[in-house]
Amino acid sequence: MEFEPVIGLEIHVELKTKSKMFSSAPVAYGKEPNTLCAPLDMAFPGTLPTVNKEGVIYAIRVCNALHMSIDNVLHFDRKNYFYSDLPKGFQITQDRRPIGSEGYLEIEIDGQTKRIGIERLHIEEDTCKQLHFPAFTLLNYNRAGTPLIEIVSKPEMRSGEEAMKYVEKIRSIVVFSGVSDGKMEEGSLRVDTNVSIRPKGSKEFGTKVEVKNINSINYVQKAIDFEVARQAKLIEEGKPVLQETRRYDDKKNETVAMRLKTDSVDYKYYPETNITPIKLSDEFIQNAIDSCPELAESKKNRYIKEHGLNNYDASLLVSEKAVSDYYDEATKYSKAYKLLANWINVDVASYLNKNVISINDFPLSPEQLAGLVKMVEASEVNSNQAREIFAKMLEEKVDASKAKEMLGITSQISDTSFIKDAVNAVLEENPQAIIDYKEGKARALGFLVGQIMKKTQGKINPKLTSDMLLEELKKR
Amino acid sequence: MYEGKSILELHELLVSKKVTPLELAKDAIELAKKDTNNAFEYIMESEAIEIASKLTEPEANNLLWGIPFVIKDNMSTKDVPTTASSNILNGYVPVYDAAVVEKLKNAKAVPIGKTTLDELAMGGTGTSGHLGMTYNPYDESKTRLVGGSSCGSAAVTAAGIVPFALGSDTGDSTRKPASFAGLVGFKPTWSRISRYGLFPFAPSLDTIGIFSRNVTDAAIVTEVLAGRDDRDSTSSTEPVGKYFEEITKPCNKKNIAIVKEIRDAVKDKEVLDAFNKTVEELKKHGYKINEVSMPNDVLASLFPTYFVLSCAEATSNNANMDGIKFGPLSNGSTFEEVMSEARTKGFGELIKRRFVIGSFALMKENKHDLFIRAQKNRRRIVDCVNAILKDNDFIYLPAAPSIAPKATDSSDRLSDEYLIADNHLVLGNFAGLPSITLPIGFKERMPFGANLMARAFEETSLFQVSYELEQITGLANIYAKGGRK
Amino acid sequence: MKEYNIEVLKDAAKRLLFDMSESEYETLLKEFDIVTKQMDIIGSDKSIDEYEPMSFPFECTTSYLREDIPEEPLSREDALRNSKRKIGGQIKLPKVVQ
Repeated sequence: MEFEPVIGLEIHVELKTKSKMFSSAPVAYGKEPNTLCAPLDMAFPGTLPTVNKEGVIYAIRVCNALHMSIDNVLHFDRKNYFYSDLPKGFQITQDRRPIGSEGYLEIEIDGQTKRIGIERLHIEEDTCKQLHFPAFTLLNYNRAGTPLIEIVSKPEMRSGEEAMKYVEKIRSIVVFSGVSDGKMEEGSLRVDTNVSIRPKGSKEFGTKVEVKNINSINYVQKAIDFEVARQAKLIEEGKPVLQETRRYDDKKNETVAMRLKTDSVDYKYYPETNITPIKLSDEFIQNAIDSCPELAESKKNRYIKEHGLNNYDASLLVSEKAVSDYYDEATKYSKAYKLLANWINVDVASYLNKNVISINDFPLSPEQLAGLVKMVEASEVNSNQAREIFAKMLEEKVDASKAKEMLGITSQISDTSFIKDAVNAVLEENPQAIIDYKEGKARALGFLVGQIMKKTQGKINPKLTSDMLLEELKKR
Repeated sequence: MYEGKSILELHELLVSKKVTPLELAKDAIELAKKDTNNAFEYIMESEAIEIASKLTEPEANNLLWGIPFVIKDNMSTKDVPTTASSNILNGYVPVYDAAVVEKLKNAKAVPIGKTTLDELAMGGTGTSGHLGMTYNPYDESKTRLVGGSSCGSAAVTAAGIVPFALGSDTGDSTRKPASFAGLVGFKPTWSRISRYGLFPFAPSLDTIGIFSRNVTDAAIVTEVLAGRDDRDSTSSTEPVGKYFEEITKPCNKKNIAIVKEIRDAVKDKEVLDAFNKTVEELKKHGYKINEVSMPNDVLASLFPTYFVLSCAEATSNNANMDGIKFGPLSNGSTFEEVMSEARTKGFGELIKRRFVIGSFALMKENKHDLFIRAQKNRRRIVDCVNAILKDNDFIYLPAAPSIAPKATDSSDRLSDEYLIADNHLVLGNFAGLPSITLPIGFKERMPFGANLMARAFEETSLFQVSYELEQITGLANIYAKGGRK
Repeated sequence: MKEYNIEVLKDAAKRLLFDMSESEYETLLKEFDIVTKQMDIIGSDKSIDEYEPMSFPFECTTSYLREDIPEEPLSREDALRNSKRKIGGQIKLPKVVQ
């Protein structure tokens, strides 16, 4: 029996607004516990929610990136339940009228483009942070009220890999749109998945199992693949798949039962009566959309079409927003796109990896890097020299020209008469090499170029030199 | 000494320096300490003295300068204990002031105490607060209710201790006790006054309420409190009228509707006679009185609709009461046990029953037949009221079927016996309309009142017509001790 | 609508995290009968379903959205002032088992 996995993803994204979604307390990380709370976040009696404009704008940006219909009236509802990390005893969310509905995103899978439908995107708020000890739990209300958007996909993914690519795409969108850090390890992007399997071709749905505690992009694929296999095995053995919640144990690479979903919880949703419906004008929505920074997809296409970069280089640049931003900034100072891309994807990347820092902490500004690239483009230095200069720039934190000066590198010689003299001088000194070359010995050319370099202390433009050499050899 | 005086009278004394705010505050505090009506949760002696001592230069243009007042204990007062008359909030000391408290403090009025209420404002008898029953100052035998849920504020004002008090109104909680206590009880248009800091019962129905002994004082206070507050997203941006300045001007809205089914449901002859007399007088003042009808099934549906909606909202609004962030310490080996002990011990039985009903009404299987049906019926009711107010400017009715009942004759338990005369004030909450009760007569030495309701945001004309009615009855500035007519 | 009896009411109370005395459940049962009967009467007129449910007293759509400007939060002392369970700047609960 061939099975087909049916996978849906619910992704919560923490928005990096300056204040909380329904209160004016600051949003910040790593601060002392319980120092970022407004009276509303502590659920003190009589406090009231007010809706954060930036949170709405951010949500609209993502809805638009996901091709969703955007509701022009904001309605909020209460999701009522009791839990230790829920101060009010309810969460303010959007049940009946999510801000975004019926969208999609596209992933590349097996060389094809596949469209995954997205059911809804709604705005809600985060809960307290709990610190668990063996005998007790501590509550920190700093996080309570932080804006979240929840993105619910349609159950249209058919493998762990597809799910992983979906998550990558969502992450790219929320990061490039400037709305979130999108870091699974830090909790600013949280993935829960619903996994079931059914006989291939069937339209019925199998028993759905929820899997939580997936803390990195790689684990998305691993957790789902494990779960699919687990369910398939159960069915083959004639055992039932229980409707339950499981957590992914990344050390053992398996899903473990957490709790049985006997009856689904009744959240007694009803409209939030402390927030009257909010009309979003067409202008507001359009401004929110227009305010969105360029997304990865668009940048990549632009790099390919307008800068002539290849797919690989362009993809590398957009794999991280900060990198593509760096590149974009550098292109303000130099139009040597391919060179810039190369320097960033290879030399800068290597430095970052070695020093375990992100490009945000890279000591050279885009302008400085562009300065170096401009030298290379103008053939003022050759590639070895450029690398020396690069290292010097990093070491001394100086501009390319200063570093070049400090290294005593004089501009690469491109004066054709000088080169011609040098070439001819070397040819005079090495008649055997000429004979070897004429006899087709491959090394001869390299030997001659090496001699010319030695004579000119490497300051000669290599391309012009070899062109000149070939020309002179033809004459002899 | 200053018992029973109105805002304007006190203002006159203050501005002419015949009395200081400190003297007034001390006077009111003495009276408060002698209060035998069980009306206070907390007397703000040191706080009031501190505030009043700082008021040394009278502000002639500020009518509330130095005026003492009390606050229903379901409003947040910074550094002053606030319990909402519930054990679950014993020891709770807020870190912020409600918007209305802030506004009155900014106006240099002097708060002298927090008053009792039915627990968490969920009641109508003034008996369910954790300190027990609040008595009606007009009844020396202490057997009659003052009503609820704003029982303490009503009792304090009716005893003449302060010229005005803050209350709240969700179903009739200011306007009904006002009737039982011979007071002006004013409920503004929903969203007119910020609810920031008002402990929520049912936000889609809740408003702040104002008690006073004459209509002008209510208008003065309302004008200071009304207006947009960005901390309450539901608060209205409608401009605030000059209620005080306009109040003596003749009302140019002249059509008054009387819902005959409601009026006819009042069986108390004295109340009806007094009411009808006022109607005749209003006619003489140029008002056109129109008898209108509301379908009986709509009227019969008022109470259950209110009950389902308010209980459902209340359940959610009190889910934060868990003994964790505030409230008395509770024990347990799991967080559920900790919360359960707090809630089991902290909530009174009446409101627990309300919560269960409210929660039941929101459950998936019941929502359609209970909560949503109540929401639909609300629209049906509101359509009816608005239809009446299309051709009429006001609705005028007896506020209650009779004088304050005896405690033994009344109960907070639901009964099948349904009295529309007892439950019609909630029309003002369903439709969010401004509504005012004022005294129109006495029976067995107990006062009773009538109620006027206007269209949304038409406070100015509502005050004008009630001012005229007050002139007709001559019952301004009555109070229970010595000042009674 | 769900069938109810004392057990159902007890379960509903339990989900609300409190308990009541036996006699209170009896009283509550009677109140339930009254409320459901009265709501049934409203529902018996099928025209009720033609009305849109009402969440607010009147049409009150606004356009106000709060600017994203953080304000001074409560001091930790004020945030935790009223909690009887505070320890080391946080609130302590029995171990929460997930």
